Amino acid sequence: MIIRVLDPTMEKGAPIGQPAPRLDTLKGKRIGFISNGKEGTKGFFAHLDRMLREDYGVAEVINRTKSNYSAPADADIVAEIKGWDALVSGIGD
Amino acid sequence: MAPVQLSSTTYDADGISAVQELYHSNGWTDGLPIVPPTADAVQACLEWAMMPPDQLIGIEPVRGAAITAEKLAINAVMAGCLPMHFPVVVTAWMAMMRDEFLMHGATASTGGCAVLVVLNGPIRRELGANGTFNALGNSDRATAVIGRAVRLCLINLMDVRPGEIDRSTLGHPGKYSYCVAEDEEDSSWLSLSEQRGLEKAASAVTVMAAGAPRQIMNEWTTKPEEILETFAAEMRANLRHYSIHPGNYAIIVPKQLREHLQAAGWTKTMVAEFIHQRARIHRREWAEVGKGAVVRDRGDSVYPAMDSADQLLVIAAGGPAGGFGAIIPPWLGNKSHAVTLAIGACVDCEPPKT
Repeated sequence: MIIRVLDPTMEKGAPIGQPAPRLDTLKGKRIGFISNGKEGTKGFFAHLDRMLREDYGVAEVINRTKSNYSAPADADIVAEIKGWDALVSGIGD
Repeated sequence: MAPVQLSSTTYDADGISAVQELYHSNGWTDGLPIVPPTADAVQACLEWAMMPPDQLIGIEPVRGAAITAEKLAINAVMAGCLPMHFPVVVTAWMAMMRDEFLMHGATASTGGCAVLVVLNGPIRRELGANGTFNALGNSDRATAVIGRAVRLCLINLMDVRPGEIDRSTLGHPGKYSYCVAEDEEDSSWLSLSEQRGLEKAASAVTVMAAGAPRQIMNEWTTKPEEILETFAAEMRANLRHYSIHPGNYAIIVPKQLREHLQAAGWTKTMVAEFIHQRARIHRREWAEVGKGAVVRDRGDSVYPAMDSADQLLVIAAGGPAGGFGAIIPPWLGNKSHAVTLAIGACVDCEPPKT
C-alpha cells in the first residue's frame, strides 16, 4: 500500500546568509576575528593571528569578542565588519 | 470546509516500513519510529488550530527561517500528536522564538540542555496530561508526544541534529521529550502560570532551557525549612559541579513533601524566597571540586543560584507517595530565560484602542 507523506524540513533555505566572495590574496588585507570568548579560542586565534601576518602577509588583524558567547555578535561588532576584507568567526570550543 | 492546500514536497512510500526507512535515512527522526505525516493528518491539526498552512508562527532570529504552521504540524504528527495536542506545540514554539529564550544558543550549545515544557490550566485535563505518577517520565500520552514534537521540530526546522547544529557534548534523555503537566487539582498553591502572571482560567505553556532533573529525597522531617534545605543543597551542588551562573531553576515538589509545606502555610513565593537565600555558594568552594584554577582572588564572592526569588519555577507534580523531589537546573545561567505564554492568545495583536 502506497503511503503519501510530507517533507518535515524547511526545504527552502533560510533567506539570509550567502557565502561571501573569496579573496584572491590575503596579502595586505585587513582580517577580523570574532571570538565567542571561550577558553579554547584564545590559543587558536593567537596562532591564526600570527600565521596570517607572518606567513600570508596580512596587513592587520582585528580581534573582537562577543559579550555573550551563545548569542549573535553584538551590533557594534557587526557594524565594524564592513571595514574588513574578511572575517573568521564561528569558532566555538 | 475544503481541504487546505499544503505546500510541502510529498513522497510515496510502499508501506509503513518504507515510511520509517525514508525518514530515518534522511535524518528526519530522533531515532524512534514516527507516525506517517499524511496530508489528512496534517490538515486535521491545522483545522483544529484554525490555522492556514502558511500561517507564520515566527521568524527564527539567527538564520531568519520562517516557521510556518504547516511545518510544525508535520512534525507534530510525526511525534504522535493528535490534532488537540497541536495548539500546545505551536504555543511552545512561539515561546521558544522569543528573544529572551535564545533558541539557537540553547539548542546548539555543547551544554546539551533540552527544552522543558510545563503545561498549566484547563487544557491539561482536556488532553489527559497527568502530573502525578512518573511526572518527569513517561507519565501519559499528551506530555510524551508534545515534548517529542518540540524536539522533532528542532531537528527538522532548525537542523538541530547531533553533530550539525546540535553540538551537545552529552545531552540528556529529556531531549527525546521533556514535558510535564502541573498537578493543579491536588495543590493549594497558585499554578506556575498564575505565579508568572496569567489568569487561572488560561491554559498556558512555559518553556525553559533545562538540564536533566537531579532527584532529591528527604522523608525524615515535616519542617518546611528542612525539606527545602535538601532542594537548596542540590542546587548548591549544581553551582559547584556545573555552573556558577544564576538563572531560572525549576523545582518539582511532589505531593508528600508538598503537603508538609502547604500544611505549614508556605506559598510558592515563600518557598522561592527561602531557597533563594539558601541556594548560594562562595566562589572558593570551587577549589573543593577541582576547579581551583578559576577561583582566583574572588574566593569570598557569593554566587546565588538565582538573581531573585522569582527566577525559581516551583512546580507541583509527582506521584502521591515518596519523599522525593527534583531540581532542574538552567542550561547556563541567564543566557536563556524561561518564557510563559497563554495558549491561543494573540501575542502580536495590537492592544484595544481606548
